[in-house]
Amino acid sequence: MDNLIVAQELNKVYGSKVILDNINLIVPRGSVFGLLGKNGAGKTTLIKAMLGLIQPSSGRIDLLGETPWLFSDRTKERIGYTPQSDQLYSWLTIGQLINYTASFYPKWNSKLVEKLMTEWEVSSQDRVGLLSEGQTQKVAIILALGHEPELLIFDEPVASLDPMARRQFLKTILEIVSDRDCTIFFSSHITPDLERVTDKVAILNKGQINFTGGLDVLKDEIKRLRITSLATLPNDLKIANTLSCEITDHLALITVRGFNDTLVADLKKRWNAEVTVEDLNLEEIFLELNK
Amino acid sequence: MQKKPKFYFQIHTSSGVPVYRQVMDQVKTQIALEHLPRGTFLPSVRQMSKDLEINPMTVSKAYSLLEKEGIVEHLRGQGMKIAQGPLPKKHLNVSQENLGPLIREVVTKAKQLSLGAEPLHKLIDEEWEK
Repeated sequence: MDNLIVAQELNKVYGSKVILDNINLIVPRGSVFGLLGKNGAGKTTLIKAMLGLIQPSSGRIDLLGETPWLFSDRTKERIGYTPQSDQLYSWLTIGQLINYTASFYPKWNSKLVEKLMTEWEVSSQDRVGLLSEGQTQKVAIILALGHEPELLIFDEPVASLDPMARRQFLKTILEIVSDRDCTIFFSSHITPDLERVTDKVAILNKGQINFTGGLDVLKDEIKRLRITSLATLPNDLKIANTLSCEITDHLALITVRGFNDTLVADLKKRWNAEVTVEDLNLEEIFLELNK
Repeated sequence: MQKKPKFYFQIHTSSGVPVYRQVMDQVKTQIALEHLPRGTFLPSVRQMSKDLEINPMTVSKAYSLLEKEGIVEHLRGQGMKIAQGPLPKKHLNVSQENLGPLIREVVTKAKQLSLGAEPLHKLIDEEWEK
């Protein structure tokens, strides 16, 4: 099985509100997949549908080859999940909570858990109920890693972490994917984090996927053209797949999707213009796609 | 003690240039500058991914494209060996092009501050000497 998550024409509707609108998504084995979207885009709903925590209104979704709300116990063992904010048993100490969680799994890597606790500065004696939001998130992530799942799903794992802990989280992710066969799916709106560790991304906007595929492909596909022409440029410069466009007399700034060298050559010739191609980072691309 | 990366790579993950291309460009630049002589090995995918804190798939992609271009050669169990002698200096243009947008930004800033070309050159010279 090469694709661990496959969604086809997935929809989720609450009353008259469309939360997920015809989602098609493939997460190949071994990838670090980032789901990018602003607040309210539908990221959490999509993740819940993947895990069988909600039923889609129509369409289908497969995770590890099974339909999520019919997961077998064997399949559940292969998944690790951290929700956006986790309700952990507040009266336990971290050590007790870890032992309790470990008891549910046939295999549990205590060595890994201890290593992570040291690296993430989490103490087993501390009481769960007294932890800060960030500390709670760290514990929740460690709990999802202990049984060494094949598929890890994190909903906004870094949202309440400080920069040091965020960096530590990204480092841990990279160690996991280099050390063993593991696929990681996480949602975030912190673009530099996604840029650092993901190889595939999906951009979710108002319940629709605007782009899904390789992060490199996305960066190669969307470019900003700076056109300086000797002639005055028309206000409605027609270029296919324009995402945004600003024109003042001789200068035009145009962001296009589906960039290629022929386009540049054409523009140069047609407008007797100088054209420079500017690369955009993920944040800029994200903003352009959400315009 | 952690082993220091043997070669100097600097990746800007938030640059618009895809990370795999930054890795490729920098390998080429270092070959052109004779920092990486023929026969030396590139760091392993794992090591490179760890040192630069980037996805191992990205490093693999850069390495396999370099292999396709005949710049490195994959030796089973040993790694990626630099297969070519010093590359023609034209590969340095790649990094010069990257400087374009940065220079434009500096010049724009200087103009906003009504700083003339002469004082700007002086500032660059000072920075250079550091």
